[in-house]
Amino acid sequence: MRLFFKKLGQQRALAVMSVPFLIWLFVFKYLPLWGWSIAFQDYKPARKFMEQTWIGFEHFKFLFGDDRFLRVLRNTLAMSSINLFFGFVTAITLALLLNEIRNIAFKRVVQTVSYLPHFISWVVAASIIQTTLSPDGTINQLLVGLGFLDRGNEILFLGIPEYFWTIFGASSVWKDIGWNTIVYLAAMTTIDPTQYEAAEIDGANRFKKMIYVTLPGIKSVVIVLLIMNIGYLLESGFEPQYLLGNGMNVDYSENIDIFVLKYGIAQSNFSLSIAAGMFKTVVSFILLFMANNAAKRMGEARLY
Amino acid sequence: MNLQGGVQAMGKSKRIWLLALTAVVSLSVVTACSGPNDAKKNNTGTTEPTSAAATTETEPKQDKVTFKIFNGVAGSKDGNTNETTIGKLLEDQTGVNFKLEFVVGDLNTKIGTMIAANDYPDVLIPDAAIEEVLNAGAFIPLDELIEKYGPNIQRVYGKSLNQMRSKDGKIYFLPIAAQVNDFIPEPEAGAGFWVQRRVLEEAGYPKIKTLDQYIELIKNYRDKHKDENLTGMVSLTHDWRFFATSNPPMHLMGYPNDGNVTVDTNTWEAKTYAGAESTKKWLKALNDLNAAGLFDKASFVDNYDQYIAKLTSHKVLGFFDYRWQVDNALNVLKDAARKDPSLDGFKYFPLPVTFEEGTPDAYLDPPGGLVTNRGIGITVSAKDPVRIIQFFDNMLTEENQTLMSWGIKGETYEVNEKGRYYRTQEQIDKIDEPFRESFGFKYFSWNWPMYNATSTLADGNAKNVASQPEVFQMTLTDKDKAILEKYGVQTYSQLFAEPVPRPYFPAWGFAKEQNSPEQLWEASKDEMTKKYFPKLVLTTPDKFDAVWEEYMKEFGKLDTAGYEKWTTEQVKAKVEMANQ
Repeated sequence: MRLFFKKLGQQRALAVMSVPFLIWLFVFKYLPLWGWSIAFQDYKPARKFMEQTWIGFEHFKFLFGDDRFLRVLRNTLAMSSINLFFGFVTAITLALLLNEIRNIAFKRVVQTVSYLPHFISWVVAASIIQTTLSPDGTINQLLVGLGFLDRGNEILFLGIPEYFWTIFGASSVWKDIGWNTIVYLAAMTTIDPTQYEAAEIDGANRFKKMIYVTLPGIKSVVIVLLIMNIGYLLESGFEPQYLLGNGMNVDYSENIDIFVLKYGIAQSNFSLSIAAGMFKTVVSFILLFMANNAAKRMGEARLY
Repeated sequence: MNLQGGVQAMGKSKRIWLLALTAVVSLSVVTACSGPNDAKKNNTGTTEPTSAAATTETEPKQDKVTFKIFNGVAGSKDGNTNETTIGKLLEDQTGVNFKLEFVVGDLNTKIGTMIAANDYPDVLIPDAAIEEVLNAGAFIPLDELIEKYGPNIQRVYGKSLNQMRSKDGKIYFLPIAAQVNDFIPEPEAGAGFWVQRRVLEEAGYPKIKTLDQYIELIKNYRDKHKDENLTGMVSLTHDWRFFATSNPPMHLMGYPNDGNVTVDTNTWEAKTYAGAESTKKWLKALNDLNAAGLFDKASFVDNYDQYIAKLTSHKVLGFFDYRWQVDNALNVLKDAARKDPSLDGFKYFPLPVTFEEGTPDAYLDPPGGLVTNRGIGITVSAKDPVRIIQFFDNMLTEENQTLMSWGIKGETYEVNEKGRYYRTQEQIDKIDEPFRESFGFKYFSWNWPMYNATSTLADGNAKNVASQPEVFQMTLTDKDKAILEKYGVQTYSQLFAEPVPRPYFPAWGFAKEQNSPEQLWEASKDEMTKKYFPKLVLTTPDKFDAVWEEYMKEFGKLDTAGYEKWTTEQVKAKVEMANQ
């Protein structure tokens, strides 16, 4: 204990500097938790806290009793997993490949082109995707031109519910692949070049160097990112699904966030929104905790 | 404790000083943002002596004040009304200036923040969020104010004052517009089945009355022009605009736009039609069109912009929609045809289409009651409600209503020897978008207490400039006149049946409580139709009935009878109040 105060005394400048952030954290991250109480009320805006009626777990019962909620939960998990898996695989692959490129100019071009879509807003991106996939869009024209389809029989990609997850996954990869590689490329620069030299002396070819030197080198970064992303598993995003979704693919495109918007916020049923939000947070926390624990067991890098 | 330690530490080390300084600077940047606003706030409160403007007011001149008004409808730029010509004149009359703020982003969020903070602008136009505002008790009751200071408000809203009362019998807001004097239909129909003019020309300008004839017309044209890659019909389905695809059955049966129901004028019974024979018939027609390769499948995935782009592409022969929704597209085509008359054939012509030959159509909005789920109200935060209600009352004088839509005589309109108002070509050319903004037509065109668009002024002139037949004639091109002549009419609306008065109209304007069974019915119905209509239209004709059955099974789960009962009650209540 005394040691703690001694250390605090020595590092008082640091301690003082962290105070504003602790206050920020408390005000913006912990105080709002108070709002969770709304989930257990029949909440009416503009009424004081004491005037609200308490109805217990009604909203949660409604959520879990509704077929639609189970469906959107399925969609959320499916799309998140797709995102998580393909996001990782493609980004790491691209990073590995980029790392092998010796022609700096070419590398720069590839990097720029691949991370540019990240800076387009989803509204614009969704428009591009919709146009590309429309019956008179590029993809259908290509298929017709190559003779896979007859004119007049173009595929309505966004109208076939089963295609939605694929389209969503592909769009997300297209949009974020370049951006996601940055962190891996950065991690790769920290690998000691002597390891590559040693591997070369041992007779490793380029491919082997990739597998046995580069990949283990970025393993800790990958695992930490994976743990963090698992925590976000119930956050499959909102914009792409909302913008690309339509009446025809709603069974596969609607996720929790859109459900909350439609049945909570749009109906001014704030309690329901909060209940859904709470559910998400609690599940995310459990997932994060589990992933971290697993990493700990395996003796890998971890979050805390 | 910690802070004290910090002060000491700062004294000791220059580096820490520097850090602290950075923190202070960054903090002051944050606070600085609110600085100018505060200054403005103070300004609005200060009083200046009124300059000696020649006002006709007999009462002692009042100090100038500025009130804040928040408009829940996105549209114009924020600004002061007295920076416009009209607003300046109104300020000279009353000493009141309004600082207008328009919604940016999500309306509910913005209103929700106001409610949570219990801090409102002086005047609020909450648009769709009006129920929340009323529930929060944000509006003050206006009854006494109207009684004392509102002779013109009583004149304009007089016969509808009862309809405006809330459950507790008080009036909390003024609906956005009221019918005054004579009813004059707009020269262009508000909705219709549109078709390219070249289609009509080639068919020899036939009189099209039924959906079958309309489809026949389109089919014939496409068959003659097979190689042109034409689309027979498109339909708008994007997001909340889906009603452009789900509303036609109502119109095809000969009813005006009441939203989710049709209302019988004899019994005042409201009936939904989303699961009725009429909807089946309409979707079947689209299904057949699709099977014949005449319907644009992408209608169900396109967004609004893509839809508008298609309408201007010259490739689409026909569609159903409301004019306000396709105005942009129609204007583009109009401008193009004005520059190059050979493009006139690509302009769209509205047709009064119904299911049966003998049914009178109802595409022109009938003279009705008031839209009572939209309006303008004075909030509990208002500093001086009396001045505000006096301003509203002053706005509703005959002269100011003329000023707000026609402008200033000799400058933006002329009067002929018969007392008819008109605009010269020069004036028409002058009044473009920037002029409308600087003159104030834009600020004062909507969302204030005013005569509605189909009203007339006391001297018989139309309240709305566009509704004045003389002005309308001037906007027509030679080609327009020629095609109207072929049908023996002077305005497009003369092609349509004369509207029948409906004192409750429109039923979509009935205020619904948040989270009520009515609202839930609408939300669930919307979701269902959005899912099944595309299926019904795009399936092969032999499977149509099976999909319809499936849809009916889903639809049967809704409490449609409850919704109809509620709507009928509302209709009857409104009719009763109107008859009082």
